[in-house]
Amino acid sequence: MELIETRSLSKRFGQHIAVDGVNLSIKEGVCTALLGPNGAGKTTTLNLLTGLITPSTGTIEFDQSYQGDRRQYIGYLPQYPKFYEWMTGEEFVIFAGELAGLTSKQAKQRTKEMLDLVGLNDNSKKKIAGYSGGMKQRLGIAQALVHEPKLVILDEPVSALDPLGRKEVLEMMKRLKEHTSILFSTHVLHDAEQVSDDIFIMKDGKVVIEGSLTHLQNTYQKPTFFIEAEDKLEGWVETIKGQDWIDQYSLDGKNLTLTVDNVEEARKRILKDPMFQELEIYKFEVAKTSLEDLFMKVTES
Amino acid sequence: MLFKKEWTESVRSYKILWIPVVFILLGITQPVTSYYFADIIGQFGGLPEGAVMDIPIPTGAEVITATLGQFGQIGFLVLVLAYMGIVAKEKNHGTQILVLVKPVSYTNYLTAKWAHLLCISLGSYAMGYIAAVYYTFLLIEKMVIADLIYGGIIYGIWIAFVMTVILCLSALLNSTAFVAFAGLGLTVVLSLLSSLTPDLMTLSPAMLTSHSQNLYQTGQVGSGFGLNLAFTLVLIIGILIGTIYLFHKKEIAQHTT
Repeated sequence: MELIETRSLSKRFGQHIAVDGVNLSIKEGVCTALLGPNGAGKTTTLNLLTGLITPSTGTIEFDQSYQGDRRQYIGYLPQYPKFYEWMTGEEFVIFAGELAGLTSKQAKQRTKEMLDLVGLNDNSKKKIAGYSGGMKQRLGIAQALVHEPKLVILDEPVSALDPLGRKEVLEMMKRLKEHTSILFSTHVLHDAEQVSDDIFIMKDGKVVIEGSLTHLQNTYQKPTFFIEAEDKLEGWVETIKGQDWIDQYSLDGKNLTLTVDNVEEARKRILKDPMFQELEIYKFEVAKTSLEDLFMKVTES
Repeated sequence: MLFKKEWTESVRSYKILWIPVVFILLGITQPVTSYYFADIIGQFGGLPEGAVMDIPIPTGAEVITATLGQFGQIGFLVLVLAYMGIVAKEKNHGTQILVLVKPVSYTNYLTAKWAHLLCISLGSYAMGYIAAVYYTFLLIEKMVIADLIYGGIIYGIWIAFVMTVILCLSALLNSTAFVAFAGLGLTVVLSLLSSLTPDLMTLSPAMLTSHSQNLYQTGQVGSGFGLNLAFTLVLIIGILIGTIYLFHKKEIAQHTT
């Protein structure tokens, strides 16, 4: 059973269609990434799921076994979380827990655990006004998790952070995956590759590619050769281009990138090529294209 | 819980301290200046030689009425400025997103604020009113206590009405300045219309002020009081329900890109 499923979900702001017929299915116990360039409709989609805005058309269905207001099963961290700055970190998380229906004793207990988890215990008695950006982000995660939601929705959880903060939050998300389902949006493919199991790529309000990370990798990643030489490679490329073992190539002076279908065959062919042996090779590398290329391709076109 | 949060917020921003202080000061000022009016004139150079002027000490009813007039102007100004952002500010900052994404009903969210608003405004008003009555008794004359209590309650309902309007405007408008402007504007217009054309405005909430004045002066409320009171209460509830309904319909999260 899917935890949350949307059917042809659309949202229109005046003339602008921010989300256009999106079918999402988020599985329980899985980390799902919503990937897309800025303005693709990711935040709007997440806001629709949380119920902060109502869809123009389409439906959102939450797992039938969780009855009632779906907000009680969802923890949400907005892209720019805004707190009551006059509260201390601890007070805010307790407040959030009580809003979500915990008793004040439970809320205190859970708050302590959550602040431990996000590493804010030393600063829990400080006013939020004095928190750094990274601390606010972690506080935001703590308040999203305090009522043990079935699904945690994180909107661009790492975008605003420096590299260290990014790494910390991504590590934290990996730990969270053990306990709860996560849905997060990002415009950085690398982040999605690191933690997510399922990926939806959005563009202009539509989902253009979806599937599990391994499926995407198997389908869209191709073996690639990076060849770099002392002198120009043009001459050699002329002789091999158009042969059927080459899928695509791009030549930039002394740098050649070749994508192929079959690594073994291609390697044999290249290395045995007498003309290739004449070349003064700097670098010969076999790798896989990253999903970045796929991402660029689908988001640019 | 939301109610508790409003209290903590008011405590931390010292609103809970200075709003009552303003009202108490307003309450003291009127009877004291009335009493010492002649002395004050004398202190500031006195009247010209030969000018004979008998400055009467006003009656208690006049003093209390004037005090309520002060509450109705400076008091409202203070309350409105302090609470014009009660919802609008949270909306503009986006703090209410973290609240409303939790399983919190919109009704609770708004009624908690409403209850808090009434507690603060009516509490401050009561303190100021008691101060005014105390000094009036001390310096000017004793009045009928029952009339003072009823009159005070009637005026309190007018305050409750104004506060409900402020909450409504704050929930539906985004600009705090506009909330203050519209709120004070509406209060002034209602008061003016009610005093200029009382016949047309028998139902207006602002008529409650003149009913309370009648009570002090004659011991009787004016005609049409019952209907006026009932209509005001209905209006308060109606505005509150309407606000919740409209607030629910508004989109909370703003379009980001």
